[in-house]
Amino acid sequence: MSTTVARPAPSAGTRSAGPTQPLPVLAVDLVTDPSLLSGLAGLARGLEEAGAGALTLSDGGLHPIHVAAHLAPLTSELGLLPRTDAIYVEPFHLATQLMSLDHLSHGRAGWLLQAETDPAVPAAVGREVLGLEATAREAADVLTAVRAVWDSWAPDAVVRDTERGVYVDAARLQYADIEAETFSLRGPAITPRSPQGLLPVLVADTDRAAVGERTAAELADGRALDLDVSGGARTRQLAARIESAGPVRLVRLVGLDLEADPLGTVAQLAAALRSRALVAPAPVPRRTLRTRLGLPAAPFRPDPARRSDRARQIREESA
Amino acid sequence: MTTAHTQAPLSPEAAALATGPAAHPLHPAHAPTGQLAFGVFFQGVNSSTIWRLPASGDQVAWESFEALARTAERGRFAAFFLGEGLRLREHRGVPFELDVAGRPDAQTLLAALAGVTERIGLVATQNTTFNDPVDLARRLQTLDLLSGGRAGWNVVTTDNAWTGENFRRGGYLDHADRYVHAEAFVRVAEQFWRGEQIAHDGAHYAVRAHGDLPASAQGRPVLFQAGASPAGQDFAARTADVVFSPHGTLEAAVDFRRGIVERTLAAGRDPGSVKILPGAEIILAATEAEAAEKVRWVRDQQIGPEQALALLEQYWGRDLSAFDPDGPLPDVPPEVVESGVTRGAGFQFADAEQLTRTWREEAAEKGQSILEFARARAGARRGTFTGSYDTVADRLVEFARLGAIDGLNITPWLIPSGLDDIVDELVPRLQERGVYPAEYAGSTLRENLGLPVG
Repeated sequence: MSTTVARPAPSAGTRSAGPTQPLPVLAVDLVTDPSLLSGLAGLARGLEEAGAGALTLSDGGLHPIHVAAHLAPLTSELGLLPRTDAIYVEPFHLATQLMSLDHLSHGRAGWLLQAETDPAVPAAVGREVLGLEATAREAADVLTAVRAVWDSWAPDAVVRDTERGVYVDAARLQYADIEAETFSLRGPAITPRSPQGLLPVLVADTDRAAVGERTAAELADGRALDLDVSGGARTRQLAARIESAGPVRLVRLVGLDLEADPLGTVAQLAAALRSRALVAPAPVPRRTLRTRLGLPAAPFRPDPARRSDRARQIREESA
Repeated sequence: MTTAHTQAPLSPEAAALATGPAAHPLHPAHAPTGQLAFGVFFQGVNSSTIWRLPASGDQVAWESFEALARTAERGRFAAFFLGEGLRLREHRGVPFELDVAGRPDAQTLLAALAGVTERIGLVATQNTTFNDPVDLARRLQTLDLLSGGRAGWNVVTTDNAWTGENFRRGGYLDHADRYVHAEAFVRVAEQFWRGEQIAHDGAHYAVRAHGDLPASAQGRPVLFQAGASPAGQDFAARTADVVFSPHGTLEAAVDFRRGIVERTLAAGRDPGSVKILPGAEIILAATEAEAAEKVRWVRDQQIGPEQALALLEQYWGRDLSAFDPDGPLPDVPPEVVESGVTRGAGFQFADAEQLTRTWREEAAEKGQSILEFARARAGARRGTFTGSYDTVADRLVEFARLGAIDGLNITPWLIPSGLDDIVDELVPRLQERGVYPAEYAGSTLRENLGLPVG
């Protein structure tokens, strides 16, 4: 399942992460099976109490972005990362949905970028299955486009200038102006800049091959180390996996047995891994997911050539 | 449930519009329920929402949506309704700066509201041209399941290539094909909701899929449709559960109801299975005089001098900034290009020459300045209920008793407190008059709209 590239083990007593990268956040993967519905809110709150730092929502039928959004007001500190496809979707919708999740979770949203390989998915939207190389190119294009949409409003674009009667300043908006191989996208976003500006985008080990090396290693903000706990969770083995994994932003528990004692298992693992300084402490209030993952703030990057009021500038120059 | 609507004679105005026996006043096949349901429409754009006041909240913050939804639920509203944005509106090639702009994705927000509300329906406007039917059907069913059967979909169409610049397929529909495509889209969604095997080969794409989610407590999401044009009304009569085009007067509402009843019968459906909830703005005060003053004040806040000129520029198709907002309407002819100077607002410019001449004459006759004309027109465009709490309540009772409407989809002019007086003053009066529910009928949107489970 995992396509993790083997990395050299770190020297004794230290991790290979750079000086600015904090310990990875401990995440639990929930597969969005409809059978979860009745206990979903309680489960998410319980996992938060038990010490999980984030949830990833993998597609099990219910739409992962909606499930993440649903859980946002019902939880207070958890990072919420839908694991969702970049390829057989509309990039504009995807960008809007994810930045909306960031607004309503007050900066706790992230994206576990997935590239779908199941042929049923393109069939449902009337597209041909892309080959591996084309899938990888498209994943890179979509991530670039989505970021351009996220970065299309300055944080202070809504000016509410009652004197001049101006609500939003078009000079502080910019088009995305993306021309990719299989799609184009104009922008700007229909949604003002979200709390994190750019959401953290991670690639889980299980998705690395389909997503492609360029997106996983260069374009994404980091790696989610997948730890399969479906056969039971032995702390020492998991600790060894983390220690030998190299730099990761997220340690993700996959295959948790929800029938057994998921909260007890997570509480015990979280405590054990934290005592060994292998995962970050439990989250504190009002810190964005970017901060917790050790990512620098994402300032607005204005591009004069893409300014949304350029039609007015041209009119004024020619007047 | 009280039956006040059958006890007293209709007013002279309503009686003049009734053509059948008192119990079936509009059409032999139409049995009015005498009951009203309210929805709240958080538009996210347009000049209806006042942003200049200190009381105007953040238009994107979660807290604004949550506060409005909680107020609506306290007022036993049937539905919380969100508009859709697929491209920022533009005016003269620049994003429109004067009105509220920027909103979250409707369904993502409603999925969150599903967790903090219990009974109110959650309705998302979603476009059939720029979505994929299986993806949208799955999202709507997810919302329906997360909310325990409270999801609704306001089906809208577009043929707008300008909007299409944000999407893979671009502006790929001929105008006439919009509803053909929309209907095929809805059929695919319905197949998905029923858990069926889908093999659709349409003019625009092929779909192979299988519905794989359980049905919600209400069976399937409620379908809303604006249905203003004849083609739209036919589509609504064949497909929708709720229609919400605005009709401000009782006469217009009665005419619209008759049309929908006839079209519904022609489509082989029970006319009671299509509810009518027109979009409306409600401005209330304790007395008639205070209400009249408040309406003027609201219009002043909604339409400033800049908005008034921008409104006219949409129809004149040219820069009018040299004209004085307090002076007469421009005496220059329009320069109309195909889609006007404001994109994304759905304005029609078929006969701008004629229209602008009529407006000039009308304003001159009434002695209106540009600003006064624009403010009057902004009110006229909406279905508007203004007056004292009691007169508006009495007027709505007439609409209900005649069966002209089944309720209203209310756009508050202030976010998030714009429903407060409606919930605290109007709703109790409607409850006393027996036309508005004291409690939710059930836990699903279908139950609360009086619709059968799908």
